Amino acid sequence: MSNTLRPYLGAVRQTLTAAMCLENFSSQVAERHNKPEVEARASKEVLLNPVVISRNDKERVLIETSVNSLRVSIAIKQADEIERILAHKFTRFLMQRAESFVILRRKPIEGYDISFLITNSHTEQMYKHKLVDFIIQFMEEVDKEISEMKLSLNARARIVSESYLSQFN
Amino acid sequence: MILLDYHNRIIEDTLKARFNPENKPKPVDMSIVDFDGVSYHISTAEDNDAKLILSIRWKCWSELVQYGAMDVLKREYRQWITEPEHGYDFTLQFDIQNVGADPEDVIRKVSLLKRNAMAAPFERAFDAQSLAEKEENWDPSTSQLMTIHYRDGEAIYVQNQQDRVTVIFSTLFKEETDRVFAKVFLQEFVDARKKPHLQNAPQVIYSHREPPLEIRHVPGLLDSESMGYITFVLFPRNYAAGSIREETISRIQIFRDYLHYHIKCSKAYMHSRMRARVSDFLKVLNRAKPETQAAEKKLASGRAFRRP
Repeated sequence: MSNTLRPYLGAVRQTLTAAMCLENFSSQVAERHNKPEVEARASKEVLLNPVVISRNDKERVLIETSVNSLRVSIAIKQADEIERILAHKFTRFLMQRAESFVILRRKPIEGYDISFLITNSHTEQMYKHKLVDFIIQFMEEVDKEISEMKLSLNARARIVSESYLSQFN
Repeated sequence: MILLDYHNRIIEDTLKARFNPENKPKPVDMSIVDFDGVSYHISTAEDNDAKLILSIRWKCWSELVQYGAMDVLKREYRQWITEPEHGYDFTLQFDIQNVGADPEDVIRKVSLLKRNAMAAPFERAFDAQSLAEKEENWDPSTSQLMTIHYRDGEAIYVQNQQDRVTVIFSTLFKEETDRVFAKVFLQEFVDARKKPHLQNAPQVIYSHREPPLEIRHVPGLLDSESMGYITFVLFPRNYAAGSIREETISRIQIFRDYLHYHIKCSKAYMHSRMRARVSDFLKVLNRAKPETQAAEKKLASGRAFRRP
């Protein structure tokens, strides 16, 4: 793990653990409604201040909290065109399977690549520390996966070009 | 499988089965497709199952004929050429009980039908170049730029110069991803030549969107982000007469398919990787769910045990 990655992930972990104290909270606006306040944004007093943790100008995490829900948005590192396409494909692939990833949001927040929405029912059904673990592991592995895919693309390109051109000898 | 075959596998297999004297002739009617929008039709004559007819259709056929495809085809298939079938460009007819001494050779030749049709402009350019090389004062204006619009929106340009022949592919990338992947691949093609053991390979130049100088004057070039141009510079050593020349022609023809095939392969590979990764993530997430209580426990006597 590189030098800046450790404190970055550490900060995200601490912030998430602190932010993930959610409770059941019915809507104050509509009777018999219970919705994630961070999405509904119907009453101001239940929203907390959002936090942005950034490693550099490309990689950052936005954590928005409310009384009964929490939204984590991640911007993934995209150094060049290939990484941009790979990141886009990968996040799209994940979000198409949002049904099975219960905490995954179907669309990312603007300016970010992928968002998670955790509500009080999620924290009631699942271990809180494991949810944090999941998000941290996700952040670690997404970068790793994208750079591995990029490497394998380059390796394939090299083999393909060499085996084609070596026929001319 | 890294390299693609030059011949059409289905034609090869079909002819092999038909030409085998142990198999009784029976009627057949097959439509086969090949790379670059080529379609074949294999059928037997209505009255005679022993007469096999093979036709080919290709949208650039008239251009190929213009560049001398008929001469090449006559050289290769002289005794089998017949009137083109309705709706097709070129037809061969065989008597399967009398194919000749070496049916293997016939099968090989016939399965290379597409390649041979396309070989004409290349052969013409190679011959023109070797003539030009001998001349003291060669007039560059006599060099011919041959264009083969072999796919929709894509073409091959072949031009002879005094000391070399350039082959330019224009290719269209339907997707942004394809374009980016192609860039990586073609960059490797350009770089690979720097390796000492690949010094003999033809030079490869890749330009994206901007057409190379040789064809810049050609009207109707699509000016779009998705266009790519690949130039091969062939020197006489790459097409010395005989097997080297034949191989080079086949290889250059297959280039576009080879490139696109590998782009698609890498996409498929990425896809399977992502699938695996997603299921990994899912496992991690499921670890967050507390395990459900195991099934009801029983005492030795068989009565249900309940925690107090």
